[in-house]
Amino acid sequence: MRLAFILGEIGSGLRRNVSMVVSVILVTFVSLTFVGAAGMLQLQINQMKGYWYDKVQVAIFLCSDGSTAAGCATGPVTPEQRDNLQTLLESPAVAQYVNDFQFESKEEAYKHFKDQFSNSPIVDSVTPDQLPASFRINMKDPEKYQIISETFASQPGVETVIDQRQLLERLFSAMNAASLVAVSIAGVMIVCAILLIATTIRLSAFSRRRETGIMRLVGASKMVIQLPFILEGVIAAVIGAALASGTLWAVAHFFLGEYLSKQYPDTAFISPGQTLILAPALLILGGSLAGISSLLTLRRYLKV
Amino acid sequence: MIRFENVTKVYDQTARPALDDISLEIDRGEFAFLVGASGSGKSTFLRLVLKEDRASSGAVYVAGQNVAKISSWRVPRLRRGIGVVFQDFRLLPQKNVFANVAFAMQVIGKSRSVIRDTVPEVLKTVGLEGKENRLPHELSGGEQQRVAIARAVVNRPGILLADEPTGNLDPTTSMGIMGVLDKINQNGTTVVMATHDDDIVNEMRKRVVELKNGVVIRDEAKALYTSMIPVVGQSRRLKDASGRDLAPPAPGDRRPQAGEERR
Repeated sequence: MRLAFILGEIGSGLRRNVSMVVSVILVTFVSLTFVGAAGMLQLQINQMKGYWYDKVQVAIFLCSDGSTAAGCATGPVTPEQRDNLQTLLESPAVAQYVNDFQFESKEEAYKHFKDQFSNSPIVDSVTPDQLPASFRINMKDPEKYQIISETFASQPGVETVIDQRQLLERLFSAMNAASLVAVSIAGVMIVCAILLIATTIRLSAFSRRRETGIMRLVGASKMVIQLPFILEGVIAAVIGAALASGTLWAVAHFFLGEYLSKQYPDTAFISPGQTLILAPALLILGGSLAGISSLLTLRRYLKV
Repeated sequence: MIRFENVTKVYDQTARPALDDISLEIDRGEFAFLVGASGSGKSTFLRLVLKEDRASSGAVYVAGQNVAKISSWRVPRLRRGIGVVFQDFRLLPQKNVFANVAFAMQVIGKSRSVIRDTVPEVLKTVGLEGKENRLPHELSGGEQQRVAIARAVVNRPGILLADEPTGNLDPTTSMGIMGVLDKINQNGTTVVMATHDDDIVNEMRKRVVELKNGVVIRDEAKALYTSMIPVVGQSRRLKDASGRDLAPPAPGDRRPQAGEERR
């Protein structure tokens, strides 16, 4: 009975205040979309980092079937060449710069590749044979990359030596800056949303002061009086958060999935499904922001 | 049922107190009029009973409980035991008669079936049978006040506070309302009614508590609106509820006369 009553009150509150409720929905929608965009950029950075990025700095790719580099004139790397490279890595001259290193076989390379490019059509056209085996080196001091490069680039069986960080770092710093901008805009928009929710709840409390006055007089509990107002704000904010989640999904699906991944097939993009892990966070964020700001407003403007 | 012990209420430190050291007891089942000019402290008295305000000093007991000691989350329970009626009815304009009365039961979580059974019964008590589906603006003032009374008593409170319930009504309608209040009083509810209406007070012959500038200047059983005891010079002595002598009124003090201060 009480629940039905509270739901009825919420319904009438939302109907009476349609324009304000719509503006709350839109403002939370926009602000949470920015929050979600920042989250998506971080997810995308993680995706591009792949398996090795945080673990190693330098990769020594070994020759495989189709290699055309000078060191690969003898064809694919032989087990002896591989053992020589490993011995060299363990030799004191090199070992002093190296924390540790791992060998990634073709099969392992294929496995990591499949994980990283799981959302990309390219994954189906690649076989383990096409991927080079490699040594992945974790440097004591990443700045000493040159030493490794000079030592190994000319070794037989080595196709190329790559400092992965240098390649990706610049891109990532741009993406981090973009997500910082998104977060700042989101911050301003969230302040906006909080103030708007507070105003809406204030108006709503004012337009229903007759009802609440009578509820107070006949001994309605604080919860019965306040809950409809709080839920009104929370419902509006949650609708906004749901719209934001939908928008992020649409961006991931149509822009990243259908467009960008075709333009840049060699880049790993996040899948639309991955953006959905942001949705609960956005819903909780929107709901709790609205709940807290309406609670604080009511404490000031609705006598209980 | 309601007991004031040396209650003082100060709204503004610089002005005189709204209630000044009032001691007074209203028993269970009693019907008491609270009379006095505007600003004499009648409304403050009612607000203190409802714990809308805190007494600056002294203690207010309602149904044996010191209201100052009731924690804020228990205040709703206190208010469920008190019905309130106002001069301006305070009905919800978009709800019909039945819904207005049912509202008081819905918000404290009464079940639908209880509401369906109780509301028509209460509407019958206040004389509004057959008008369940009218909206407030389709009713006369007297009928609207009956709806307000029905709403105030539908949860069977032990106390009914009425703040000038006949202030907006003509004399005949007012007498009808008084009949309803009397009937509710007969059923065992303590009724405290603040009023300016001398005809009603004179007709009812109930206890009259007169306030002036926050002080009880008269408390008589079966009294009239103005005192029956003629004022003879400075010798008139007044007694408050506890039987203490009160200072005689200062010269120039004038009790409100019939027709004065009526709104």
